[in-house]
Amino acid sequence: MPLSTNRALWSIMTIDQVTAPAESSDYVGARVRKHNGAAYLTGRVTYSADISLPNMAHAAIVRSPLAHARIVKIDTTVALAQPSVLAVLSGADAAKTSGPIPYLLDPAGLGGHSADVRCLAVDKVTYVGQPVVAVVASTPADAAAAARLIEVDYDELTPIFDAEAAMAEDAPLIYPDWHTNVMFAGTFGDDTFEETARSAPHLLHGELRIQRTTPSPMETRTYLADWNERAQQLNWYGTTQNPHPQRWVLATALGLTERQIHVVAPSAGGAFGLKMHGHPEEVLVSVLSQIVQRPVKWVESRSECLLAGGREQVHRFAVAYGDDGRVHALRDQMIADHGAVAAGAGWGMSFVAANSFPSGYDIQQCRVEYSIVVTNKPPSVGMKPFGKDAPVLVLERVMDLVAEATGLDPGVVRARNWIREDQFPYTTSAGLVIDSGNYHGLLTQALDRFGYQRRRDEQQVARSEGRCIGIGLGFEMLPEIADIPGSFVTAYDSATVRVDPSGQVTALTGVTSPGGGNDTAIAQIVADRIGVAPSDVAVVQGDTALCPYGTGNLSSRGIVVGGGAAALAADDVALKLRTIAAAMLEADLARVELRDGFARITTDHERAIPLAAVAHGAYTLGYILAAEMDAPLESTRVYKMPNVQQVPDAKGRLSTYTTFSNALHVCVVDVDTETGRVDILDHFCVHDCGTMINPLFVEGQLQGGVVMGIGAALSEEIRYDDRGAIRTDAFKRYLMPRAIDIPHLRIGHQVTRSPFSSLGAKGAGESGFAAAQASIVNAVNDALRPFKVGLNVLPLTPPRVLAAIREATRTAGAVG
Amino acid sequence: MIPSTFAYEMPHSAGEAVDLMRADPLRARLLSGGTWVVPEMNRGESRPGLVVDLRRAGLSEIRAEADRIVVGATCTYATILKSTIVARQVPLLALMARAVTGGQQIHNQGTIGGSVCAALPHSDAPAAVTALAARAVIAGADGERRIAASAMFAGPGQTALEPGEVLTALEFPARTGFGHGYYKLKGFEGSWPIATAAAMVAIDSDGRCSAVALAMGGVAATPMSVDLTDVLGDRPDDDEVLARAGQRAAETLDAPWSDIFASDDYRAAVAPTVARRALKRAIDDARRATASHDGGPR
Repeated sequence: MPLSTNRALWSIMTIDQVTAPAESSDYVGARVRKHNGAAYLTGRVTYSADISLPNMAHAAIVRSPLAHARIVKIDTTVALAQPSVLAVLSGADAAKTSGPIPYLLDPAGLGGHSADVRCLAVDKVTYVGQPVVAVVASTPADAAAAARLIEVDYDELTPIFDAEAAMAEDAPLIYPDWHTNVMFAGTFGDDTFEETARSAPHLLHGELRIQRTTPSPMETRTYLADWNERAQQLNWYGTTQNPHPQRWVLATALGLTERQIHVVAPSAGGAFGLKMHGHPEEVLVSVLSQIVQRPVKWVESRSECLLAGGREQVHRFAVAYGDDGRVHALRDQMIADHGAVAAGAGWGMSFVAANSFPSGYDIQQCRVEYSIVVTNKPPSVGMKPFGKDAPVLVLERVMDLVAEATGLDPGVVRARNWIREDQFPYTTSAGLVIDSGNYHGLLTQALDRFGYQRRRDEQQVARSEGRCIGIGLGFEMLPEIADIPGSFVTAYDSATVRVDPSGQVTALTGVTSPGGGNDTAIAQIVADRIGVAPSDVAVVQGDTALCPYGTGNLSSRGIVVGGGAAALAADDVALKLRTIAAAMLEADLARVELRDGFARITTDHERAIPLAAVAHGAYTLGYILAAEMDAPLESTRVYKMPNVQQVPDAKGRLSTYTTFSNALHVCVVDVDTETGRVDILDHFCVHDCGTMINPLFVEGQLQGGVVMGIGAALSEEIRYDDRGAIRTDAFKRYLMPRAIDIPHLRIGHQVTRSPFSSLGAKGAGESGFAAAQASIVNAVNDALRPFKVGLNVLPLTPPRVLAAIREATRTAGAVG
Repeated sequence: MIPSTFAYEMPHSAGEAVDLMRADPLRARLLSGGTWVVPEMNRGESRPGLVVDLRRAGLSEIRAEADRIVVGATCTYATILKSTIVARQVPLLALMARAVTGGQQIHNQGTIGGSVCAALPHSDAPAAVTALAARAVIAGADGERRIAASAMFAGPGQTALEPGEVLTALEFPARTGFGHGYYKLKGFEGSWPIATAAAMVAIDSDGRCSAVALAMGGVAATPMSVDLTDVLGDRPDDDEVLARAGQRAAETLDAPWSDIFASDDYRAAVAPTVARRALKRAIDDARRATASHDGGPR
């Protein structure tokens, strides 16, 4: 064969200098920069809102101004008369061509309640901001202007905005068929608390009120539907984390077959759980495109985006413990305010919260009683870390309260209660089987490397000088990569790896990237196996017509199952390449390796053939070189986590999570006792997510999570007026941390491999939030110990902190 | 995206602006930096028929005159921060401008006149110009008039401007011998201030306070001047004296402002602290000036 031609081909292949140095051929574990980072930084990435189709029209949505009301009459006459307006759609109209939006996981199927969720409200609205009427016009401004001309008459019903009030006997019912406002309720763990508590040396009680926060990705939601009447085909582009399940959602709601729908999820500017499926607008734009016979786009405004929320819960807990700080039993009663029903993932977060007790602590007597309640607030949406933050916060407060009561150091109390290294795999009281961990090792590193004890000593000095310095620990244990029976939340995914005749490598995955960089990490995994640089691997994601079936991104699954599948497929293709190369080099297969873009003899690197030549040979000289082998250098493989337990055990428990990353954070704060302002002086953490494919991305996720946790601890809060309309409808009122609010984050790693994932990796996409939030809340409480203040209502805003200090001072004054 | 249509004019002088406004003053809206008006229009909360953009109206100059410093209404915070005249003669204005939230983008866009005309209780500029005893120069159909800047603020979002009038400049009295302090309290960087205090203190060669001005923003619907005559006296930076000054601020505050960031109770509670901290900074600044200039304070 004309090898020289192929050498020429090889010479024109480019190696992106942005990535790791070429001399390293082992990319897994390396701090490789984002392989497509230049495109993101220079504005060459296409986001959903960037897509513009010929003849495209634009939708605007009229949303309910009332929290609970019957729709009496909709007058669209004036809007329809506007020259640019193409269509106006009411819920009743939409119901003629579309059905209910299928639930991501229907609570009714699990013994709870659900209600039809439509793309536009049909008879009744249940929250301020619910879509009621849609307008399509030639421009976004015309659509928005026409939306203002639509008049809707409502018959107002009594709204309810508080979950506990909604549980009262005489509370108004939001969904009267249910005869209750409790959407879902249940328990985890044995009902043995009272019994254990009777014989325990000490007992303490506490309460935590967690506010509603919002995911607010930089890129808001956008959907663009293009219905082709002639082909009876829907092309749908949008901000979805889960393109294949999204296709099923659209097919179900629109009465189409999945074959008729092509879903494309372009590059994403963050998702955080918000962009999981089930939003009314996903279906709405499709219905509108069918009506106007043109592509229809809807871009969510920031104020619409801020309607989304979640995490609002009240926890009341009781703890039985000994003088040694060991917790004998724990009971947590949790009430979650879900808002109105939705077809998305939101309610599942509260279920997962209950299921994730008691974090990484060895407390077998742990009882959780939970109620997920509907109110007339907007529905909960998925938000990282998907409910797992609540048990972390509760347990971390519990550990600090026990430490305070026993006079022990909070680190010691944690060490005495953690699951020990020799106890893994460990089955929790709620049935989760924790894979592996070395929690005590986290504390050792925090002590040795970051000087935890030294900070304690400094704190004493500061206190004697009248400064209010606090130190807080936050330990998180995050169940990741779930497989929830009956839903598209799966612990498996697929990937195709392809080397084309010119030697170019493509990986097509069922997982998607919310913007974090799992595409680069997958390129690293494939690159190592094919012997090329990550920049030589094109990663294709988010297209149901191109990519093998998959669940997309959620539950931190991208690397463990997406990377795992890509590794298997790449191994298949590598074996084919080596087989062909062995024939070309007239060597034993065992002596042929793929490195630096060549197939070469392991002991004689001079005997090498460029990958392009090998690939060309595989496609064109198969009968000569490897008669036994099928030509296409392509493999599609699935990686499926082996440790899912979906048959209930003797106690009726399932184990739906497969990897369990963990971390210990230490936060140092300075509280201004005259204003209640909290400043973070230092924040460090030791993090363990098993094998790291790329520490840069692990740390990127972690940093983002910590920032989110800081916001949730100190400033972020969705607030409503007394009629249920959102007051925090802009970033000027919904206060996310800005750069100046964030301390320099110091990160240490510990690697405890998952024994169940092929790469040894654990999910890393949700790290940081829970432990950061908990460590800050603990640090502020620690700072205020001299005042004997217990702050348990989040977020810890200056007014809240100051009020607590003043109350404590007044009480002390009254007593003293 | 602004969901309404409107006419747009960019006059080349204050006079032209006044003429444009005259036709239909109630439906016309002045645009300076646009950091408040444009978002309002985007949200559909303001739907003027005519927008008069002042950016080419020649109102962006800062100049020193015999007894005053004139700052054009459309001077951005960045312009103020770059001005050596401001740095030398109205440093409090620069302290305020530097504290404005929003980074370079807002510093380059937001204007002092815009902030004064928006008259938002939680904005930085209104209290600072009040402390500085500025005068507002107002152009109208009947010519020019001047009023005390403190008289500009009629209520939250309300000014003393008559329909069709244009704020063209702020004039600051040329004064020397003062130390300056600005203190701003907010929970998080992205927040509007909860309370601000702008202070000027003159200290004589015996260490006594010879003159003082303090105005607070955010604590009430309009900027609140605190009369500290007789309070600072001989020992201005004594803790007890400063505490009394804070107390005076609390007593002056009869109707604390309340918004999404903080209740009236909270504002009343922190007002003394904010006042005290600004005064302390001003006193320290005055002492530094005394120490560094042999010839006495600026």
